[in-house]
Amino acid sequence: MVVTINPMVVSILPFLVFMVPLVFGGLIFALGRLGKMFRHGLALAGISLTLLIAVMMTVRVLNGEVLTWWGNNFYVDGLSTLMELAASVMGAIVVVYSMKYFGAKTEIEEAHPYTSMTTYYGQILLFLGLMNWTCATNNIIMLYVSLEFTTLATVFLVTFHWNKPALEAGYKYLLLVTVGVVFALLGSVLLYSAATPFLPASRVLLLTELGTIATKIPSNIVLLAAAFMVVGFGTKAGLVPFHAWLPDAHAEAPAPVSALLSGIVIKVGAYALARTISVFAPHYGTIPLFIAILCSISMIVGMMMAMVQDDLKRMLAYSSVAQIAYVIEGLGMGTYLGIYGGLMHLVNHTIVKGLLFLAVGAIIYSAGKRRISELAKVKFKMPLTAFAFFVGVFAISGMPPFNGFVSKFTLFLAVGQAKLMWAAIIGIITSLFTLVCFFRAGYKIFWSEKEVHAVGAEAATAAEVPAAMWVGMVLLAVAAIVLGVFPQIMHPLLDSATKCILRILIGG
Amino acid sequence: MACHFIASVGAAEIRNLKTATLFLLVQSLLLSFIIVAFAEKSQNYTLYWWAALTFITKVVIIPALLWWHIKRTEYIEVKPLVSFVVSFIILSVFLIVFYQMIRTYVGFVAPTVEATIEPARSSLALAFTIFVLGLYVLVVHRDAVKIIIGLHLIENGVHLALVTLVPKLPVTTILGIVSNVVVAAVMLLFLTESIYKAFGSADTMKLSSLKR
Repeated sequence: MVVTINPMVVSILPFLVFMVPLVFGGLIFALGRLGKMFRHGLALAGISLTLLIAVMMTVRVLNGEVLTWWGNNFYVDGLSTLMELAASVMGAIVVVYSMKYFGAKTEIEEAHPYTSMTTYYGQILLFLGLMNWTCATNNIIMLYVSLEFTTLATVFLVTFHWNKPALEAGYKYLLLVTVGVVFALLGSVLLYSAATPFLPASRVLLLTELGTIATKIPSNIVLLAAAFMVVGFGTKAGLVPFHAWLPDAHAEAPAPVSALLSGIVIKVGAYALARTISVFAPHYGTIPLFIAILCSISMIVGMMMAMVQDDLKRMLAYSSVAQIAYVIEGLGMGTYLGIYGGLMHLVNHTIVKGLLFLAVGAIIYSAGKRRISELAKVKFKMPLTAFAFFVGVFAISGMPPFNGFVSKFTLFLAVGQAKLMWAAIIGIITSLFTLVCFFRAGYKIFWSEKEVHAVGAEAATAAEVPAAMWVGMVLLAVAAIVLGVFPQIMHPLLDSATKCILRILIGG
Repeated sequence: MACHFIASVGAAEIRNLKTATLFLLVQSLLLSFIIVAFAEKSQNYTLYWWAALTFITKVVIIPALLWWHIKRTEYIEVKPLVSFVVSFIILSVFLIVFYQMIRTYVGFVAPTVEATIEPARSSLALAFTIFVLGLYVLVVHRDAVKIIIGLHLIENGVHLALVTLVPKLPVTTILGIVSNVVVAAVMLLFLTESIYKAFGSADTMKLSSLKR
């Protein structure tokens, strides 16, 4: 395969893409209390600017440029733009969605003095800034630092309701992810130290240099560091057995935040693994095997736990555990097809899980309940939400013609190619059970006969949500269908991102 | 080094939270001394910056926060899963064996040849031992404050590994790491206090309403 060397261009965009949301986040903290206009206006302005910058970077990267800033310390290639574009789009949808979502009475009454809409929007923008920083940095230790800061920025979003379950979820989230990510730091330190003799001091910390040293450093150190990194970044991504925080945090956070957590936050862990482990995987046969075993366990556990949930949001959260395993399995293969499929599923899962969480948020908004057994008694007059939900259901279980099918099919091919047929079979079975699990929930909520228990009482009805909420959902649903029918739309960006990893891998 | 080890075990095992905090303070103080010693030996002046940052965050800010928190809430530690005597004996024996093992077979964890030579060798072994000790605290202890102390033992262990293995780290990066630790500590203490108010206890075992 021919991998061309792209021209490196010094540009301020990689700096702006994380600085703009950080500054706007700060502004919201400072001025948000002045009124709703300030909060919403600043949040919208910040997120639109970020989105604009992300799109500009994408266009330039697709033209074959690699953007760097501050002497290679910030390095934006296809993979970074892919993540930043996904984060900015999802962030924009979530911000617009939140404006109506929190209008519902139930949410505001529960909110505690420590949390307010000011801190909410402030933290969302801070988080997006840190997220973009994580994807733009090229420094292996700063990757850990910014990754940990993305956790810190989202903790008080998880505890937004400030009730007992939310506090508990936030505490677990903060503690477990912090401890987990320290493992990744230890792994990074080992790699960094091992690389010191082979590289000049100014370049030794750079992620892009990992490929040149991949075969030079002692194999036991690579394996030890890889194990530490899988534990560390795997905790962030929510792989079994490091997933204990994920269902709690994703279920107790407000629905738009859950969409952000499942859509973007756990993907940072996958991104970090792509930058580190994928570089070593082709040289060490045990790494793909180890990752395939871990991911298969994740798929089985996540899918089984999702099946037994009555709480809609917990069901979605456990399914995230299973779905992120597909992404990491692909990235861990270290082959073109594997990385391509992994990244494609990363994007697709961001779209689909965001869609599902927003749809569930709409259900909670209208019906005020989130248990499937209780929702089965509510009459729904929400055609758009139902449409979005069912598109999400089919897409996440990998049914054609939705986007999940394309990426999962690519992944199964890649896993089969790597002579891990059993892992591909586990993946297919997990997909089928996901369909059963989600379709059952959707059927019970939207289609089943509504029984009325009390004599003379009407079943409660739930009406369609405001436009600000359904616009985002419909956009994501349409994206899920369009990307399923015309997957080639994503190809240039995915191809560029995959080749970035491969280029690092061969040390170009 | 031996003092550092004893202080770490003290921070992990002393039942009185205030005393445990003091032990953590001493442990961090010794950590910054070790960094100064490395700086003297290698004539590497960025290490002085590093030692200063470690001193400010780990010796001053974090123990002060812990102390302030314990004083304000005035609760006593929730009993851990294992009793004091048993825990102390088993832990000491295990840690000494672990330390010796890492020291003997340092080739498994040392990424460079320099790291296998004294004093890096002992220092690396100590770093991994403290890391494991911190993990043990996280698993066995139920008290939320004690868990924070355990977390800091882990962070200090990694910090020692950092100093030993990559002494030429730029100051900005070190600043990033230590500020991270401080922000995490503040947020954890804030959440612990809120949980204490909401649940009436700092027992992490009771945080199981979401289990399943």
